Amino acid sequence: MADTKSTSAKAPEASSQAPRLRASVPKAVPGNTNSIAAQYARAKAAQEAADERKAKGIKGSGGGLDRNGRLKSPVVRLNEWKAERFGREWVWGWGFFGWLLFTHIAGLYFFTRGFLLTRLVLEEKSTCGEPPITLSASYKDIGTPETGCWHPKTFDKAIVLIIDALRYDFTIPFEGDEANGDPAEAYHNALPFLYETAVKEPHNAFLLPFIADPPTSTLQRLKGLTTGTLPTFIDIGSNFAGTAIEEDNLLMQMKDAGKKIVHLGDDTWQALFPEYFEPNISRAYDSFAVWDLHTVDNGVNEHIFPLLEKDMKTKWDVMIAHYLGVDHAGHRYGPNHPAMTGKLQQMDGVLRNVVEKLDDDTLLVVMGDHGMDAKGDHGGESDDEVQAALWMYSKKGVFGRTDPSFVTPPKHAKERPVDQIDLVPTLALLLGLPIPFNNLGKPIEEAFAGRKGNAWENLANVVRTTAAGIKRYQAAYFVARGIDESTIDGSPRALWKLAEAKLEKGGKQQIWQDVYSTFTTYQVETLTVCRDLWARFDVPSMCLGVGILAASLLSLMLFANGNQGDDGAVVDNPGLDRAEMQLEIDEFAKGNAPANVEETTSRSIVRGALIGSLLGAAAGPTVWIATGGGALLEFGLALTSVSGLLGVLYQEMRRRMTFGNPFPKTFWGWLAVIFTVSQSIGFASNSYTIWEDSITLFFISTFGVVTAAASLRLEKKSEMTLGVYHSLVFVALGWAASFSKLCREEQMPYCRSTYYASANSSTSAPWQLIIPFVVAIVLPSIIKSYYVSSRNYEGLAPLWIGWAFQAGLLMSAVFWMLDAADDGKWFTNLGEKTLKNLRVPMAQTVFAMAIGAGSVAFGWADPCVSITTEPVPNAGSHTDEPSSTVTILGYANTHGTRYFLLVINILLCILMVQKPMGAGAISLLTWQILSLVEILDLNSLTSSPIGPVVLALLGSFHFFKTGHQATLSSIQWESAFIPLYSIKYPWSPLLTALNSFGAQILAAVSVPLIVLWKQKPQKKGLLRGVMTALAWHVAYYAVVGLATTMWAGHLRRHLMLYRIFCPKFMMAALVLLVVDVVGLLVTLVGVRWNTVKVGETFGWG
Amino acid sequence: MSSLAPSSQPAPTKPSLPIDLLPTNLARLVSQAHPALLLAAYYIRFPALVADPVSTLLQSLLPVAVIQIAYAVTCLPAVGAGAKPVAKKVKLNAPKKGGESQVGRKAFTAILSLLLTLFTTLPLFTLQILFGAPLTTHLPHTLLSSAHLALLSLFPLFYVHGTSASKWREIISIYSPIDEVFGGSVGAFIGAWLGAVPIPLDWDREWQAWPITVVTGAYLGYGVGKVVGGWVLKGKRVEFD
Repeated sequence: MADTKSTSAKAPEASSQAPRLRASVPKAVPGNTNSIAAQYARAKAAQEAADERKAKGIKGSGGGLDRNGRLKSPVVRLNEWKAERFGREWVWGWGFFGWLLFTHIAGLYFFTRGFLLTRLVLEEKSTCGEPPITLSASYKDIGTPETGCWHPKTFDKAIVLIIDALRYDFTIPFEGDEANGDPAEAYHNALPFLYETAVKEPHNAFLLPFIADPPTSTLQRLKGLTTGTLPTFIDIGSNFAGTAIEEDNLLMQMKDAGKKIVHLGDDTWQALFPEYFEPNISRAYDSFAVWDLHTVDNGVNEHIFPLLEKDMKTKWDVMIAHYLGVDHAGHRYGPNHPAMTGKLQQMDGVLRNVVEKLDDDTLLVVMGDHGMDAKGDHGGESDDEVQAALWMYSKKGVFGRTDPSFVTPPKHAKERPVDQIDLVPTLALLLGLPIPFNNLGKPIEEAFAGRKGNAWENLANVVRTTAAGIKRYQAAYFVARGIDESTIDGSPRALWKLAEAKLEKGGKQQIWQDVYSTFTTYQVETLTVCRDLWARFDVPSMCLGVGILAASLLSLMLFANGNQGDDGAVVDNPGLDRAEMQLEIDEFAKGNAPANVEETTSRSIVRGALIGSLLGAAAGPTVWIATGGGALLEFGLALTSVSGLLGVLYQEMRRRMTFGNPFPKTFWGWLAVIFTVSQSIGFASNSYTIWEDSITLFFISTFGVVTAAASLRLEKKSEMTLGVYHSLVFVALGWAASFSKLCREEQMPYCRSTYYASANSSTSAPWQLIIPFVVAIVLPSIIKSYYVSSRNYEGLAPLWIGWAFQAGLLMSAVFWMLDAADDGKWFTNLGEKTLKNLRVPMAQTVFAMAIGAGSVAFGWADPCVSITTEPVPNAGSHTDEPSSTVTILGYANTHGTRYFLLVINILLCILMVQKPMGAGAISLLTWQILSLVEILDLNSLTSSPIGPVVLALLGSFHFFKTGHQATLSSIQWESAFIPLYSIKYPWSPLLTALNSFGAQILAAVSVPLIVLWKQKPQKKGLLRGVMTALAWHVAYYAVVGLATTMWAGHLRRHLMLYRIFCPKFMMAALVLLVVDVVGLLVTLVGVRWNTVKVGETFGWG
Repeated sequence: MSSLAPSSQPAPTKPSLPIDLLPTNLARLVSQAHPALLLAAYYIRFPALVADPVSTLLQSLLPVAVIQIAYAVTCLPAVGAGAKPVAKKVKLNAPKKGGESQVGRKAFTAILSLLLTLFTTLPLFTLQILFGAPLTTHLPHTLLSSAHLALLSLFPLFYVHGTSASKWREIISIYSPIDEVFGGSVGAFIGAWLGAVPIPLDWDREWQAWPITVVTGAYLGYGVGKVVGGWVLKGKRVEFD
């Protein structure tokens, strides 16, 4: 690939006169031991000595001594002055992006605060002596904890055994049909015990689908399962650090009734219920070690069976045992994996043993707290995630069915399901406890229908008591919130009256049945109202958030537009450059510093923000009084961001007076707008949100095809060929990457997942393990080819790209091989932890290499060029001819190739945390980025917004290609453990972020390449170009963020809110913040460092 | 491409000119009727297209080709017919003889253009795949939609411009001066591009199936582009900057 635009060697700017240096045939430099800077300085010094005689016109006009006390030449002083100016400009620009991040945080905070649902927690508790309604006269001798509070006590003791993520279809028999392509999966028929007992001993056992209220994370589920209330969305974030439950709940009632509770297993319980459990016999285990299938389960087994022995039975009344193996097998392998079969079979055995040791007075409840999706993950509200199983067992034989056909457990979870909150009143009544005050569930029919299934009076009574509790809670809630209950639409109070009226006529079986069903309807209706009610949004706060985001976007656009200098025109004329520079030096020597460069847009905007914030702070007390204050932190955040934004807008308005035509002026500008805006509008529709991956591919292909067409307009044949070639490469790579898919549930059946071995797994197929090795072999060569085309495979490049980077990639490939070996149990003779102990240090080495050694290398490396000086054979014959020729290989791409070293370091980190398929996708992304910058350079589009926007599209596209979706369940939590043995803050969340947003991070780090690629050292206006490009890049995410925020707010009552719009909003908001932070901490810092190093070597532009 | 000053535009040999219709009343009439006829026919066949895309697209290929040939032959100057004055001259000097040879050349050009159109179906097919058309299923659908797109947008171009490399470089880089042939062609492509928009929507309509919307977009875009190119934007060029 001969690149004609960047001629192999160009005459660099010497300090002074015209044809001092001339281009010469490039030659490799043997034995390049000295630094480039030293070589360049030497070569230059030799020439300057010759120039000295001629340079008499330039004299220092005062000031400035160099280290040796000599007067500095104007050249040196101008250089220093430029370096300082660069530093100042950078600080102001950095300040702008810092302020932008602040406004994004403020906007998202206020929106989130109003959007994520809140529910008032009531303090009231139910007590034994105060039932919510006069109890039925047919119950005798009740009202005490000994005999039963609101219902005769049926059991003294209970064992609640939770098998985390026990999906309903794991428990029912499945007759595979190989012929019709519907074979039994690994999770089928492995846990038959529940179904068997329910069919064989219907009076002792029943099995039902057990529907969870989303979000389906364990912590949220445990709250629902013990309090009987609905979870609100805001709590999901606290899954990493559970907080104690303050509300009335089952465990609190048990404790108050003097029951001794023992807990074994998942430590989430300890976080929710501190001090509840018997200290000496309870055992908690870490719940986040998802790769570990056995520690928790074995621990529970070790302690549960001794407690079931006769002599230990006095030590506890209620036992909670929480198994995690099934859940972890799902997270690690997906449900369709032999490990899942093994886990379920183990649980089958455990249950048989527990039942064997069970006495007559103990109730056994086995349940899943949620299900799992096709890949074994959970958190969302898809059917597979909410459909858990519930099985209750006792040897007393008190269970019944109201219809004989109900003896057979439902075939699927849509049939006769019960809500998870229904367990709360059921368990409370069976144990003779009061129902927790805030319960919204209803008693489960099978538990109260009597042996014959006709105890309608009992059913009517329990459901009436429960409904009265719900009614009481509702009334208290409305009082606490200050709402008149009758104003709520669809208030089920009429139903209550109807039911009470029917009760009056009581006595006959038929009527009891009618009463039962009316109270049940009341409960269902109330639940619906509550679900609706707790979707109570704080609209003013949401509007404030959206307003801040919109104003911040406007400022960003003003910044990007105002920053576009006139440096777009590329005049490749060394003679002109030299003349211009000479003029500059002459002017500087006379004491006239170059004007008008100080007042940059970033400086103006940041000043506006500061002035605005100060004024806001000054007016703070007044505003505080006027608005009634509120939390001080929130008030400060709102005031600072709003007044800062107003300051910026005012400042810009004053500075420009008119905004001019806000629309793009070129086809490319329009293309950038269409890509960004049409997609953002599309996020208002669930279809376009679901199919975002295909849509970004469509846009990426469009861009590539249009640049191919545009490249055909290029004059030079070689440039045309290259332009078309890179455009086609760009399109083809995007298309190739599109084969890596992880389908979300809503895409079915039009999508087939390829990211993992199968749709039901979260492990890689054996052939996928080859991908990292291919990447390790091929990717460095591809990067090398882009360096070689501009003769920049010099300096550190061969060592870093061809050796260190490749070594890191190989290590990463081996890591994933070992990971697969561990997952697949390839080496059964190795110890449990051997493979883990082998591969974790490898990952750590890669990170140390990329971040530690890589930063040092990037920090101190000379530009990737090589310099050679050759005497001109005929020197002296003409006095005007230079005596030697300085050849600089790679001069024309000094900035870009040096900066790319940083991209490589980040790339190595990202590749390390991606699964094999994702490593392939990220490599294709890297290749596409390199082609993109070539295309932009060839078509002179480096200052157009289209480049940064396409880069952002690439980032968004490859987010999907690295096995992610805009859903909670697609988060690859296990990536937190790649270089670690256990959870470590802050590294584990950072690793998960690096895995999730790797593509966007790589794109954000690559933004400067758009400007820096194919730029020679002393090019002017580079920093401003980079700032503009970064602004356009962030603008894409800011527009998407604003749009998804607005849509989520607008569609807050939409059926698909939690399934589609809310996750998309959360993802867009997170990505925006991640890109902001990466831009600030990596991109801008990298550019500064890079420019300083190039400036030190070659002089400042 | 700010580096390209207006004076240094690629303009391979000499600045190319927009195509004018043949200077006959028949040509003017047919040119007006042609998009209306195409769209009307498309409208009538639309239910059949929704019911059975493959066979409808296949069966309608020949009629569409006939319409396109008739349009080209009656309205457009065949490649090599030279500039208008020459054509006029021939007509004036030797009406009969010239007429006969012209018919023969027109027929030859039309058949050759049809063959070239057939060949270009494959690149268009590849293009559709690259834009995200299914690779493992619906191949006949994609191929037929490419064939229709080629018949609409490329056949008239082949007919009037032949295979001149420099002209085609101009066409592919969307730099050809706009006339009704080029306008129709660009319109068909833009229409097909926009035709992908309704596909992901969850409206569960039968017409959302691949490739009905894309073909519909191509036909609509062709009609609009032809009219706009022939009247409003005639002689202008698409500038990217």
